[in-house]
Amino acid sequence: MTGVNRTPVFAVVGHPNKGKSSVVATLSQNDAIAIALEPGTTRSRQAYPLTVDGEVLYTLVDTPGFQRPRRVLAWLEAHSISASDRAETVAAFVQQHRDDPRFHDECELLTPLIEGAGIIYVVDGSVPYSAENEAEMTILRWTGKPNLALVNSIGSDDHSAAWVAALGQFFQVVRRFDAVRAPFDQHLSLLKAFGQLEPGWEQPLERATLHLSQQRAQRRKDAARLTAQALEDMLSRRETRTLTANQAASLSTETLAEELRQLWYQYQRQREQTLRLAVEHLYQHTRITRQEAELTWHNEHDLFSEDSRQAWGVSRSYLTTAGFGAGAVGGVSIDALTLGHSLGAGALIGGLIGAAGSFYYGDRLTLSALKLGDWHQGLQTASFGPVQDSQFGYVVLGRAVDHWWRISQRNHAGRDPLDLEPTESHWLTRLDRASRREIQRAFDLCRKKRGLDTASRQRLAHAIEAAFDAYDEWQLNSH
Amino acid sequence: MAKAPLTLLLDFDDQVRRDRAQPATFLHRRDRRFALACEADKQNPDAEHWLDYLARLSHSRGREVPDRDPRLKPWRRIALVFAGLGAMLGMLAMLGLLYYDGSQQINVTVILAFIFLQLLLAIFTTAQSFLGWRPWSGLVKTLQRRLGQGPADESGSTILEQLQPQLAARAAHLGGLVFGLFGLVTLLFLIVVQDLAFGWSTTLDTAPGSFHSLVAAVASPWQQLWPAAVPSPELVSESRFYRLDESAATLAPTRWGDWWPFVAMSWLVYIVFPRVLLLLLTVSHLRLRVRRLLASHPGRIALQYRMETPALETGTGPADSADQPDLSTGLAVAEVPSSRVLVRWAGATVPDEADLLDGKNSLTVNAGGANSLQEDQRVLEEVRGYLDGDRRNVLLATRSWEPPTGELSDFLEEARECWPNDSLIAIVPLHNSLAEPPPDHQLGQWLRFAERRPDLRLRICHPFRSLNASGIDGARFAVSGGPEIYS
Repeated sequence: MTGVNRTPVFAVVGHPNKGKSSVVATLSQNDAIAIALEPGTTRSRQAYPLTVDGEVLYTLVDTPGFQRPRRVLAWLEAHSISASDRAETVAAFVQQHRDDPRFHDECELLTPLIEGAGIIYVVDGSVPYSAENEAEMTILRWTGKPNLALVNSIGSDDHSAAWVAALGQFFQVVRRFDAVRAPFDQHLSLLKAFGQLEPGWEQPLERATLHLSQQRAQRRKDAARLTAQALEDMLSRRETRTLTANQAASLSTETLAEELRQLWYQYQRQREQTLRLAVEHLYQHTRITRQEAELTWHNEHDLFSEDSRQAWGVSRSYLTTAGFGAGAVGGVSIDALTLGHSLGAGALIGGLIGAAGSFYYGDRLTLSALKLGDWHQGLQTASFGPVQDSQFGYVVLGRAVDHWWRISQRNHAGRDPLDLEPTESHWLTRLDRASRREIQRAFDLCRKKRGLDTASRQRLAHAIEAAFDAYDEWQLNSH
Repeated sequence: MAKAPLTLLLDFDDQVRRDRAQPATFLHRRDRRFALACEADKQNPDAEHWLDYLARLSHSRGREVPDRDPRLKPWRRIALVFAGLGAMLGMLAMLGLLYYDGSQQINVTVILAFIFLQLLLAIFTTAQSFLGWRPWSGLVKTLQRRLGQGPADESGSTILEQLQPQLAARAAHLGGLVFGLFGLVTLLFLIVVQDLAFGWSTTLDTAPGSFHSLVAAVASPWQQLWPAAVPSPELVSESRFYRLDESAATLAPTRWGDWWPFVAMSWLVYIVFPRVLLLLLTVSHLRLRVRRLLASHPGRIALQYRMETPALETGTGPADSADQPDLSTGLAVAEVPSSRVLVRWAGATVPDEADLLDGKNSLTVNAGGANSLQEDQRVLEEVRGYLDGDRRNVLLATRSWEPPTGELSDFLEEARECWPNDSLIAIVPLHNSLAEPPPDHQLGQWLRFAERRPDLRLRICHPFRSLNASGIDGARFAVSGGPEIYS
């Protein structure tokens, strides 16, 4: 029975190997569900609930595919007298064959249906339509449950129109849904369509989609905050080593510089990887295989390679204008202090200094040199960093935004490795001036070892959110 | 015991810092649960309750003596230093002001100037704290470093740094108050143990009447309470002295000491009272700043969001991605045997059918799919009629993309029972045409299907068979002298 007050349950059913698990993985945002191009990967039904504060709003049930639909249908037909007893006959079939290994898969997929689940029937729209599956569709119709057909696409061919036309005769609603590539809006739209199957299901599904939208918006903010934190850590990183007189005498400056430089490189790479994992976990991707050079020094896509700099760095004119803006903001405080009597000269001077600094530092490929401190109580401190190359911040930011975008767009059914290839043009030019200024200002503060206060951190996170928008728009327009 | 506001703020800030390393989903779940628990208990989910809740869950007893917060130790030390210096300087300053060697009177004008300088400094300290100006911040940092209480990291200002103006003003006012009190005590002590001769003197051409007006104005706050502490015009007029004028010494010696109530009250009202008031004001300001910092703390805003927003769990459920099927197979795709029987399984279409079958008198039948089980049975029997002599091979064409199901297994079982035991069944998974070989993963599922079946006379065949034993990964070539398709 499908009671009005019962939590909606949707059993995802169909022929073997048509992407049922992919649909469940994407809609439940769970990349731990086994998906393989091999029939019989799903051997038993598995429930994936969506809960809000512990309250289940709906449950998706992944099921094995039909193995012997004609035999089941033959049994049902042999035990039914009229249309009114069909649902009961299906239940009787499950009851009778529960322990029969031949009908294990059918019992697994029919059990949630006789317990009141709605039917989500999945077909593969990339293969030609065939009427051969009608036995299983008939069985599903016999259960009398609300139903919806999904035309998934596993391969590259498109036969979905034929499937949609044919399935329309058996199912209340027919939708196209590419489990691997469908954008998030389509997930929500599909869940809303589930809600339309039964009057009592509409409200929980509406609530679920609302919460999912809010969660996605929050994840964006959290990703921006994580990125801002990583940028601050990476850009202000300084490796130091305290040397005794003997050590200072035995180590050449070059050796010491190389040692500290390597430590600095290692930190930068590890910190970037930590950010990658944090963003992936934020979006509940825990099993991604990434194809991004991290610790391979000679890779062309490495964080410090010239290729990365070419791909993610910004132009000198961009740096200069952003530097002017950032400097001008600092200069305004002079004007404020003189109650405006400096007639804006503070902003102008600050802007010019900022622009000059960015222009000067903006195109230097060299990283910081080794700095040796004064001798103090027989000890000397050697330090390396923070990086003075302004482009470094933009390279880190560009790579981070690109990674965020790919993760936020990736469905949980995706099992392909994530390939983070550099782009060919500068997306940051689409970013508004205020955000550019904030980013440059934060970079300058880190470069000068001043650190960011809470308000600056928040402003940087907001600017990075704007950068997410700019990148999103750029990707939309460039593809 | 309720936490001091500053300790609460610092605890909150510490917790937010610790939370930075936690996954967002965990934080959301934890704080939402707290908010729901508060709602059930009709409690206000404020920062203090939140910290108590976390401490309870971690079995942490919290700080037993809230006033002894170790993070505030540097500031307690600074306040102690200020108070000590204030006490010492208060005494020394008063001893200096009242220094009397008998040759000359103690000049009340100097004492008044000193008192108003102190008042000015007190007001300046308060203004500095309200404006947030920290010209001495470098000194505080150095002190903190020396005491080993510097910030944990160099990045950004800590919450305590933001409160430095108020904390420093509090310490300064405390020092000023102790200074005033010790100065007053020293004054009273000297009045008791010495005969102090006060007078007034100035280089300016000031009439005693004007000076009286000045001291009357200064004494106006207490003239009703203690009239004796307001110098009379006569006292003012008679106690003026000039360093080179000996005639001033004609005043009765008892009158020289009549100024002390005025001096004591001036010290009390213009040094001690303002310091008390400004100390209270600074403490209030500090509390206000602490409350504002707590209210506007980014962690507080994020916490509020987490508490108000329901915790959504989507990724729960069984995780079986590690339980992947074994995709290896020991079988290879075989050559298509010569046969004159073709069974098209579940709607498989064979566009180049004649290329598969062996000449004349061949049979093509449909099974599975839309057929009924009875029709399948009839097909089995019809095929049996064709399997005579040495022509006992049956081709079973399937759609390569459709996975082999239990129905096909059943059909093969029944075929084995119905057909001669030595008949060879060759499954031919077809893609779009015979010239187009199926993708590897599709062929693979058929090979594994055949491998799982206990039937030695079952083959997976295709006009293009595999060269290597794995059957699906190596280079392929065309058999039967056909054109090479790809390598």
